Amino acid sequence: MDQSQQPLLATRGLTRRFGGLVAVSNLDLEIRPKEILGLIGPNGAGKSTTFNLISGFYKPSAGELFVFGENCTGKSALAISRLGLVRTFQHGSFMRSMSVADNILLGTIHGVKGASARRKRVAETAAMLGLTPFLADEAGNLPHGLQRLVSIGIAFAARPRLLCLDEPLTGLNQTEVANTLGVLQRIRDEFGCSVLLVEHNMKAVMRVCDRIVVLHHGQHLATGTPSEIRADKRVIEAYLGQRHDH
Amino acid sequence: MDDLKLPYWAAGIALVLAATLMVRDAYIASVINLIAIAALTAVSLRFVMLMGELNFATAAFVGIGAYTTGAAVTILEWPFLVAILAGGLMAGLVSIAFGYVTLRTKGPYFLLIGFAFTEAVRILYSKSTVLGGTSGMIGIFPPVALDAWMPTVIVGISCIVILALYVLERSDFGKILTAIRDNENVARTVGLNILLVKIACFAAASMAAGVAGSLHAYANNVISPGDFSFLVAAFALAYVKVGGEDNIVGPLVGSVLLVILGSYALGLGGDEHIFYGAAITLAVLLLPHGITGLLSGRRGRSAAKGH
Repeated sequence: MDQSQQPLLATRGLTRRFGGLVAVSNLDLEIRPKEILGLIGPNGAGKSTTFNLISGFYKPSAGELFVFGENCTGKSALAISRLGLVRTFQHGSFMRSMSVADNILLGTIHGVKGASARRKRVAETAAMLGLTPFLADEAGNLPHGLQRLVSIGIAFAARPRLLCLDEPLTGLNQTEVANTLGVLQRIRDEFGCSVLLVEHNMKAVMRVCDRIVVLHHGQHLATGTPSEIRADKRVIEAYLGQRHDH
Repeated sequence: MDDLKLPYWAAGIALVLAATLMVRDAYIASVINLIAIAALTAVSLRFVMLMGELNFATAAFVGIGAYTTGAAVTILEWPFLVAILAGGLMAGLVSIAFGYVTLRTKGPYFLLIGFAFTEAVRILYSKSTVLGGTSGMIGIFPPVALDAWMPTVIVGISCIVILALYVLERSDFGKILTAIRDNENVARTVGLNILLVKIACFAAASMAAGVAGSLHAYANNVISPGDFSFLVAAFALAYVKVGGEDNIVGPLVGSVLLVILGSYALGLGGDEHIFYGAAITLAVLLLPHGITGLLSGRRGRSAAKGH
């Protein structure tokens, strides 16, 4: 396979059980270079579990995980993050008591050597996210929309090859959503970084994603472009909860 | 790295050292020694608090430093500075092994393990005939030439170690510690090895505690297992809480104030343990940011944040 077309991330039959519950079942997922992939599904569909599995926070019960072509099944979150897969968390993926500058700095410490190079990376990242005016502010005191951007800033300051965002748009107003989506597109276009987006805001997902994967009851339901997904009967049923007989 | 305010530190340390040179009274000299050792112990305790853990094993590492120096001086007859360095290094080495195993736990679990470790180490001293058993070790004297200058030497060495921990706190390493306290998973996802950072933090703090123990051994000339119970850590917590934990100046202020008041209370026949317990309780209830927090106008959690 051509190097540029090799998937950044691939799962083969990825499964995770919690006791009797199968949270994610036999999932095959691929993330391609330079794409924004949406991962959607009703509550309890297994989105968060999938997220934790691919970032190494959960170990799979079965199946395999390949990150940048390397078999990462069972590897630690630290090992996977050092390959260039960086994630955020749903609830407050930043440090409340630290300044915005120090928050973003955290993302640079592992990959960038030297104080001035780190400062430069922080400044670039803040400028990209529109956080430059707030660099000296304590992150815990910022409005919610900016805090969400700080979370992305920490992750993106590490200059990942694959950025995984867990519901980054929750609680944002329309302007903030549009702004954040613009940031994601720039991250993809200017840095060639792929983005995995877990999100409930369907309008935003349809607008920004190249492809969408739908999960339902821990299983893969559909994959396709936004227009394909929008027209998919099974997806509509899963979301509307319609009864259907097999 | 942030502005370290080094001129202020240099001026402050010079001033304090100059003051110790004036001291001729033996009682005042002993109180100054107590303050310096208490301050170093409190700064060590606070350094681990930066990453959100309450380290009751501080007391054990003070003891390990003291006993290492005691053995180095009375048995091996090592020179003064080497014996102090040995105390710090031994505490640091033991803490790396202890931390590697225990720093996977957090909060109350880590606190309780530290507590148990302190008491276990104390029992080891009292069972060891080489280390003097329950009666401890005697004759840990500094060189005769230094005898008259001990407050200056003890304060000087304490200042150097405290300054070193301060520089570490203000570096990028210190920011990782705050990140671990706030949200360690985020730090992990940007490629930072959390366990390694925790062990490094713990080892640096324990080396400082070890040096505090070494200084204690030289200041008292006598050490016994009873000197290194968990109360050492409880007192250090009182210094940190009363002085304020937001800034490294807090434990310094707390140590000066509480050691002087505690010495006075002892003179009145009062029980200093009750005194320290009351100090922690009052500080936590009335001054959540300690005395230094009061001075910088930061009383409540969100009040007066300087905007």
